Amino acid sequence: MLTKLAFRNVFRNRRRSAITLLVIIFGAVGLILFGGYKTITFHNLRESTIRNRLGHLQIYKRGFERAEAKKPLEYGLDDVVQLRRAIERDKRVRMTTAQITLMGLVSNGDKSETFLATGVEPKEDRAMNAQKLVSGTDLPDGEADAIIIGRGLAASMHAKPGDYLTLMSTTTSGSLNAIDVRVAGIFMSGVKEYDDRAIKMPLAGAQQLLQTARVERLLVLLEDTDDTAAVRADLDRMFTQRHWAIEMKDWSQLATFYHQVVLLYNGIFGFIGMVVFGIVIFSVANTIVMSIFERTREIGTMMAIGTSRSSVWRLFLLEGLLIGIIGGVAGLLTGAGASSIINKAHFMLPPPPGYTQGYTLRIMLQPGILITAFLIAVITSTLSSILPALKASRLKIVDALGHI
Amino acid sequence: MHQQPLVRLTGVTRTYPLGRVKVRALTGVSLDAGRGDFLALTGPSGSGKTTLLNLIGCIDKPDSGRVVIDGVDVTNVPLHRLAATRRDTLGFIFQTFNLIPVLTAYENVEYPLLLQNVPATKRRDRVRYWLDQVDLAGQAGQRPDQLSGGQRQRVAIARAMAGEPKLVLADEPTANLDSVTAGRILDLVEKINTATRCTFIFATHDPALMARAPRCVRMHDGAIVAEPQLEARAS
Repeated sequence: MLTKLAFRNVFRNRRRSAITLLVIIFGAVGLILFGGYKTITFHNLRESTIRNRLGHLQIYKRGFERAEAKKPLEYGLDDVVQLRRAIERDKRVRMTTAQITLMGLVSNGDKSETFLATGVEPKEDRAMNAQKLVSGTDLPDGEADAIIIGRGLAASMHAKPGDYLTLMSTTTSGSLNAIDVRVAGIFMSGVKEYDDRAIKMPLAGAQQLLQTARVERLLVLLEDTDDTAAVRADLDRMFTQRHWAIEMKDWSQLATFYHQVVLLYNGIFGFIGMVVFGIVIFSVANTIVMSIFERTREIGTMMAIGTSRSSVWRLFLLEGLLIGIIGGVAGLLTGAGASSIINKAHFMLPPPPGYTQGYTLRIMLQPGILITAFLIAVITSTLSSILPALKASRLKIVDALGHI
Repeated sequence: MHQQPLVRLTGVTRTYPLGRVKVRALTGVSLDAGRGDFLALTGPSGSGKTTLLNLIGCIDKPDSGRVVIDGVDVTNVPLHRLAATRRDTLGFIFQTFNLIPVLTAYENVEYPLLLQNVPATKRRDRVRYWLDQVDLAGQAGQRPDQLSGGQRQRVAIARAMAGEPKLVLADEPTANLDSVTAGRILDLVEKINTATRCTFIFATHDPALMARAPRCVRMHDGAIVAEPQLEARAS
């Protein structure tokens, strides 16, 4: 009977209940949309960070992390062929690729700039799709002296595809070395500061400039990011068994920017959650308080004919719970509909800070977000009715019956 | 053998704060009501009729004196602990009917039976019986706002009686009804009183009700000033 009463009371003052439900629905939709946006942003940022830049795992010679190298590639890997063969035997591994990072000066004969270069294997680098070419071609196979250059650096050096530049750096033995390179293409990564200094060159060219056969690190890309921990554990076991002096990092240890974004978005999400929580609390509490005020005489009657205090308390609590459930379900449906519309509309958003490219607004609906939004709606609605319900159950029957 | 009265009030006093002053609603009232009594409390507004009814109905407490209902001294029992007494022993009929607006006539009558945990079959039979008694079987599915004043009061009577109370308290039950409807309500209540031997205590201004009540207690300024039938018997 209490449930029946509560349900009918929820729809008693339809206009007021509708407004309260709308508040809950808007709150739930806000949480769902922002949660879905946050999820797709995290997912995309994580995958692009991994697949374009970091790989799922990076393997170095032991000591690379802690020791301060006196010379370039002092802690480089000597024999990556055997290492790669062992790693690529695992079916969860999509590919491995060796890299070197180096710094130095780039000159066009008139002007010099510092550069930050990555020596890559052209074929694997193309597969990683790390950058977008704005002119020229990507790194060709079998041409050690070709480079692609960041858009900002190209502009600074007045370089265009086909031009020749000179790269100068310190070799592994500590002397200076310079090589002439041909600009094959100009690229943009999306991060302006990086594009102002970046060069990509074939691994062979980087080794030639540094006068070494070593590589700095081996990147391991997996089929599925969720396998990272398991693959890392298996590789760790294998390296230990084979007594290889190797250390490893996973993408999460390297993705500082990703973690900063996660922290920021989670903070914003938490703040929005608190705001929604507050709005729903006050809105539902207001509805219940108004309802109690209007139904004072009825409460008095119910108590006069034998309804206990706890039943009155439970009745109003149930009304809060029902409002939360109805609002939560309606919020989920509206949120799912709004997500679908947004995803189909392909809204373009401006570039994030530090980026040069905009991106399409997408919402990724996940059960966790839907459950969170629903629970927040139900819990806040129920919580907000506790005090008013208590007030109703403590009414003096005589006063309540005399209430006009 | 001496039978204990269903209601016994002894030297009951009740004072209400009204702004900064205190108003004495009842001053040392003593009253007995036996089983099957049909008793009318009369007197001008503010004479203490409703306050007396509230004390008997266990929805208010006296400042002093004793209130015994069905042999139980309820004087010092907190009101919220008397919910079961109200549920099982008492029935209420209000001037403004006080039905639960979101429930149908049937559900309003059923409500006290649900509080009493009466089994479903018995509950259904009893609700139907009382709706029949008040001649509202055809309106069982209607909500209070779809019923006339007289019909609402009949639902309220059925609700009060469904729980099989020993005592029904009615505060101005005919005040909001026209004279014809009020007459029908009184016929009905009289019939129920005769048939069930349930005690009825009314607070009323209605001369028609006073005329029908075998026992009429007149109040003034918080005190019982006369009980004509007793006086007549004494003389």
